[in-house]
Amino acid sequence: MSPDSLTRVPHNASAFDRRQFLFRAGGGFLGVALGGLWAEAGEIPNAIVGPHLRPKARSVIFLFMAGGVSHIDTFDPKGNAHAGKLIDAVGFGDNLAAMKRPVIPCHRTFTRHGKSGTPVSDWFPHIGGVIDEIAVVRSMWCHEGNHFPAVIETCTGHRGRQFDHPSFGAWVSYALGSENRNLPTFVNIGRPSSPVQLTGGYLGAGVSATPFQAGPTPVPNLHPPEGLTARERDEQMELLESMNAEFRARHTLQSAIQARTQAYELAARMQLSAPEAVDFASEPAHIRSMYGLDDRHTEEFGKQLLLARRLSERGVRFIQVCHAGGGNGGWDSHGDMKTHEPLCRATDRPIAGLIRDLKQRGMLDDTLVVWTSEFGRTPWSQNTTGRDHNPKGYTSWLAGGGVQGGLVHGATDDVGYRAVENPHYYSDLNATILHLLGLDHTRMELSALGPVSRLVERGGPIREILA
Amino acid sequence: MLLALVFCLGQQLCCSAEVTAAKGLSWWSLQPVQRPAVPGGELGKDNPIDRFLSVSRGVQPKPPADRRTLLRRVHLDLTGIPPTPAEQEAFLADPSPDAYRKVVDRLLADEQHAVRYARHWLDVLRYADADERMTAAPGIHLWRDWVIRALHEDLPYDQFVQVQLTGRRSNERTQMSATGHRSQREPRPGDVFALGFLSRGAGSDPQELAMNAVDTISSTFLGMTVACAKCHDHMFDPVSQTDYYSMKALFDPLVLRKMTLASAGDLMAAGKAQAELERQRAPLERERDALLEPIRRTLYDARVAMLPPDIQTVIRKPERTRSVEEQKIADDYFPILRIDGDKIDEVLTEDLRKKDRDLRRQIDDLTQAIRRTNAPVIPVFHAVEADPDRAREQRYILTSADPSRSETNRPVRPGWPFVRGAIDFREGRVEAFADWLTSPDNPLFARVAVNRLWQWHFGEGLHRQPSDFGHQTGKPTQPELLDWLASELVRSGFSLRHIHRLIVTSATYQRASESEGALKPGSTEAAHHQHDPDNRQLWRHPVRRLEAEAIWDNLHWAAGLLDVQVGGPSFEPGERSGKGKSTQSATTATTATTAAKRRRGAYMTRGFSTSREATPEFLRTFDAEDGRDPCPMRTRTVTAPQALFLMNSPEVERAADALAGRLRADAGNDLPRAVDLAYRLVLSRPPEAKERERSLTYLANDPQRLSRFAWLLFNLDEFIHVP
Repeated sequence: MSPDSLTRVPHNASAFDRRQFLFRAGGGFLGVALGGLWAEAGEIPNAIVGPHLRPKARSVIFLFMAGGVSHIDTFDPKGNAHAGKLIDAVGFGDNLAAMKRPVIPCHRTFTRHGKSGTPVSDWFPHIGGVIDEIAVVRSMWCHEGNHFPAVIETCTGHRGRQFDHPSFGAWVSYALGSENRNLPTFVNIGRPSSPVQLTGGYLGAGVSATPFQAGPTPVPNLHPPEGLTARERDEQMELLESMNAEFRARHTLQSAIQARTQAYELAARMQLSAPEAVDFASEPAHIRSMYGLDDRHTEEFGKQLLLARRLSERGVRFIQVCHAGGGNGGWDSHGDMKTHEPLCRATDRPIAGLIRDLKQRGMLDDTLVVWTSEFGRTPWSQNTTGRDHNPKGYTSWLAGGGVQGGLVHGATDDVGYRAVENPHYYSDLNATILHLLGLDHTRMELSALGPVSRLVERGGPIREILA
Repeated sequence: MLLALVFCLGQQLCCSAEVTAAKGLSWWSLQPVQRPAVPGGELGKDNPIDRFLSVSRGVQPKPPADRRTLLRRVHLDLTGIPPTPAEQEAFLADPSPDAYRKVVDRLLADEQHAVRYARHWLDVLRYADADERMTAAPGIHLWRDWVIRALHEDLPYDQFVQVQLTGRRSNERTQMSATGHRSQREPRPGDVFALGFLSRGAGSDPQELAMNAVDTISSTFLGMTVACAKCHDHMFDPVSQTDYYSMKALFDPLVLRKMTLASAGDLMAAGKAQAELERQRAPLERERDALLEPIRRTLYDARVAMLPPDIQTVIRKPERTRSVEEQKIADDYFPILRIDGDKIDEVLTEDLRKKDRDLRRQIDDLTQAIRRTNAPVIPVFHAVEADPDRAREQRYILTSADPSRSETNRPVRPGWPFVRGAIDFREGRVEAFADWLTSPDNPLFARVAVNRLWQWHFGEGLHRQPSDFGHQTGKPTQPELLDWLASELVRSGFSLRHIHRLIVTSATYQRASESEGALKPGSTEAAHHQHDPDNRQLWRHPVRRLEAEAIWDNLHWAAGLLDVQVGGPSFEPGERSGKGKSTQSATTATTATTAAKRRRGAYMTRGFSTSREATPEFLRTFDAEDGRDPCPMRTRTVTAPQALFLMNSPEVERAADALAGRLRADAGNDLPRAVDLAYRLVLSRPPEAKERERSLTYLANDPQRLSRFAWLLFNLDEFIHVP
C-alpha cells in the first residue's frame, strides 16, 4: 500500500500500525486493508468481509423509538393485581439505592390478535393486525438507566463514549457494503437521540450514517444551484476531470487524491439517484394510505417509513428510522402515560403499513424490521401517572428477514420490572440481527484491537425466534 | 484511549504487572534527552535537520520544489492563508539568497500564524464550545484567544503549559514584601483565561475535572496514556493505578470559579433591574401563593394519609426531630409526596384555574419585559481555583473509576509517576507537578512537543503516535533527530517559533512532492518508492489535504470574503460574522462589507451535545473533531458529502460569485487577465498555456461565465491539496 493511502483509522489508535488495520474475516486474518477499498477503479466502498453464513436478510429497517416505550402498556400486559402496592426496587446505573415504589395501574386493554393470539394493547391496533409476522421478545435488558448512556450502550455495544466505538449500522455497513453503487450503505431517517447513533467511530466516516430526510432535499447540498442545467453541470464535470488530470498524474502516490474521483462519482450518482429514491410520485394512493400519508397524525412517520421501504428496495443495507428523537426522546413519559398515546397513534398505522407493504411485495422475506427503544418503563411512577426508565426488563420485536412471526419469547416478572424468563442482554438483539444478515457476531471484530473492538461482547442470537 | 482499553483487556495475557512496569522504565522515551552530535562535522550553512536525515536516507531525495509551490506551501502551512499575487511576484523577483527566510520570518510574525497553530494545539487540548454538562461553556472562547496570543508572543512552551495549569508563570507565583512576608502574586492580566484548559473538563461531579485534567495532560503533554490505570496498573507502561489517583489528587482540590467580566456600571444596572423586577413581581406572587397553598396542603395531606401508619408517623414528625433512619425513610418518600404544579392544576375549579393562569401570565410578562429593557447580558468566564476544604480531604483509589461511587479502602497521596520520595508542595500541588512536567529534565515533555510540531508540518510525526510514546507504539523513525530537536527546544528557552523556523527552513521541508514516475519501473522515483514506500525518510514532501478550517479560509480568501480579525466568540457557519458580540467589535462594525464576510474556520463553533448537533455539518464532513477528547491526529477521509459540499453548497456558490465579481472588477472584460488572476488567487500560480487556453474556451468570451469558472477552480484537487 502506498504511504498516503486513505487512512480511516482511529486517530487515537496507536497499538498497531495503521496499515495493518484489518478486519478479521473467516477463521483467519483474511481482512482487506482499508486503503485498498478505493483502489478498485469505479467501485464505491463495498463488502469488506461479505457474509459468514447464508444470509436470511438483505436489508434491515431499524425502528428506534427514542425515550423508552412502556412495554407494560404495549406488548407486555401485566394486569392490575399489584396496582397500588409498594414494591422493592433499586436505583439504576450507579445509584443502586434500595427504595420502595408504588405500582401504578395500567389503563390499557389488551386484545389477542391474529392466529398467534399475541396480546397487543389498544394503542397499537394496526400492529395487532400484523402480529402474526412479529416475534415479540419480552425479556430484554441493558445496564444503563439514563437515555444517553443507554443509547450508547445499545447502539455501539459498549458502555461509555470515550473509545469512539462505531454504531451498529456502521458495523453492518462496514462488513457488508451496499448493493447499490448509487446510494450510501447506512442511512438514518428522522432525528436520533444522539449523534452516536450515526457514528462510524473508529471504522471511519466512510461508514457513518448518511442522514436522509423525506422531502425534496434528502441529503445536504444534494441539488446543484438553481439555474444550472444538467447539461452545464456535465460540461463542468467533464472539464474538471481533464483539468485535474495533470495534477493527479503528478501525484500518483497520493491515493487520497486519486480517491477523489470516486467521491465525486458517488456524489454525482447520488445527485441522480437520491431524488428518485425520495420521490413518492410513483406510489399509488392505496400505498400512501397504508402508510398513513392521508392522515396528519401519521403523515410524517408514514413518509419516513415509505422512504425506508424505497431505500431498502434500492439496496441500502441498514436503514435506521428514529422516532421522536432529540434530547431524552419523545417516549420519555415520566409525567403521564397519556403522553404515549399520540406517539403510538403516529407510529401504529405506518409500522403496520410498512410490514404489510413489504409482505405484499415479497420483500418481507429478506427485509428485517426491528422495533426497539433504549429501555422500557417501570411499573411504578415517580409520584405521577407516568413511568420511570426501566433497563431491567423491556420489549423489542422483530419481523421478516428470517424471523418466526407470531411468537412471544421471554417474560418479565409479575409487575414487568425485571426480565426473568430467558432474559436477553440487549446485545443478543444485535447478534440476532447480525446472524440474520449472515454475519457471525464472534467474528465481528477488528483483529488488531481484539475483543475491545467487538460489536457484541457477550451472548448470541436469540435462536428461539429464528424461522 | 483506545490503546488504553486494549491494555485493559490484555491484562490476562500479561505475566505480571510489576515485571512489566519495572521493565518499562528502560523504554527509550523515558531516557533523558541526550543532545546527539549533528552528523557530518562543521555545519556551515546546513540545517541540522537535513544532516540527520541525510545520514539515514538511503536514496537521493527529490530536488527542491519550484518557488511558487514552495511559497504556497509555506504560506498554507504557517498561516493557512495563501500568498497574495503581489507576494507571489515579490518572492519570485527577490534574487537574494535569504528571500525564503524573509518570507518565513514574515509569516511567523503574522498573527494569522498564531491563529492557525492555535487550532492545531486546541485539537490536542480538546477545546470545545459545548460539551455534555460543560459548565464552563460561556466565555470558553477567551481561552482560545489566550492560546492565540501566547503563540503569537512565542510564550516559551514550558510557560505555555504552566499558565494553563496554574494560571501563572512559574517565576511569578509569589512575592516578598519589604518585611519578608511571602504572598501569592496577582497573575498577569489575561492569564486567568488560560485556565479554560482545566475548567473545560468540569462536569457534574467535581472529581470529573480532576480526571479529565489527568487524562488530557498525560496524553497531550506527556505522551502517555494513563487512562487505563484508572482501573488497574498500566500493563505496558510504568504507570500504576496509584500513580493515576495520585495525579488525580493533584487536581482534586480544584473547583470552578465563575468570573463576571462586566463593568461596574453593567453590574449596577443588572442589579437594579433585578430589584425592580422583584419589587413589581412580589404582590403578584403573594396573591398566587395565597391561591394555591391551601390546595397544595390538601393534596399533600391526602397523599400522606395513603401511606402505611408507621411511615405517616415519620413523615408528620418535624424534620429536626427525625432520627437518621427516619430521615432516610422520609427522603425515600419525598418523590411520592411531592406535589407538582400540574397536579394542583387538575383539581382547580375553572374559575381559580383562570385566575392562576392570569397571574402566571402577568408574572411571566413582567419578567420578560424587564429582561428586555434593563438587564444587560453579563459575560462570564469560568476559571478554577483550589478549594481549601477539598484540599484537606483524603483521596482514595476508585477501583470503579467512577467518582460517584465513593471508596475509602486505598488512600493515595498527591503525586505522579516516575517520581519517588517526598515532593515539595509548598507552592501548591498543581504548581509542583507543573514544575516537574515542564522541567528541561523531563524526557517526555520536549520530545512530545517537537514531535507534534513536526507532525503539523509534515503530516506525520517522527514518532507516529503523537500522544502515545509508550511501549506499544514502537520507536520513532529518526530517534536522533527527535532528540536533537527536543534538546534544541530546551536550549532555545522553549521557543516554539525557533523549532518552526528550523523545520520550515530545512532543505527537507522544501523538497518537491511529485511522485509521477513512482509507478514506472526503472524511474528514480520508483526506486525511491521501493526503498521507502512510506516516505519515512521524507525523500519527497508529502502532499496533504487542507483541513476543514483551511478549506473554509481558502474558499473565502480567494473570494475576498475572509474576515481575518483575530479572536472573539465562536460563530455558527450559517451565521454572518459581525453579528455576534465580539471583543473587538469596533473593527467588525467599521464597514458594511465586513458584515458580509466570514471569519476564519478556527473560530467555527464545535462541541458535543445529546440534544442538538453542536459541531457544524461542514466541520464534520471534512473530518474536524468535536473536541470531546484530545485529538492528536484527525481522521482523513475522502467522501461523497465532501464532494457535494464543494459542488453544490451555497457557501461555494456564494464564494464563486464573489470571486467572479472580484475578477470582473479587476480585469473588466479582459478575460485572459481574469483567468490569470483567478489562478493566482485560487492556486497561487498563473495558469499554464494549456490551462489558459482551456479556461478561455470555457468562458467563451462571456464574463458572466466567470462565476462557473470560479466553481471549477474551487473543485480542483489542487485547490484543497498542498503539494
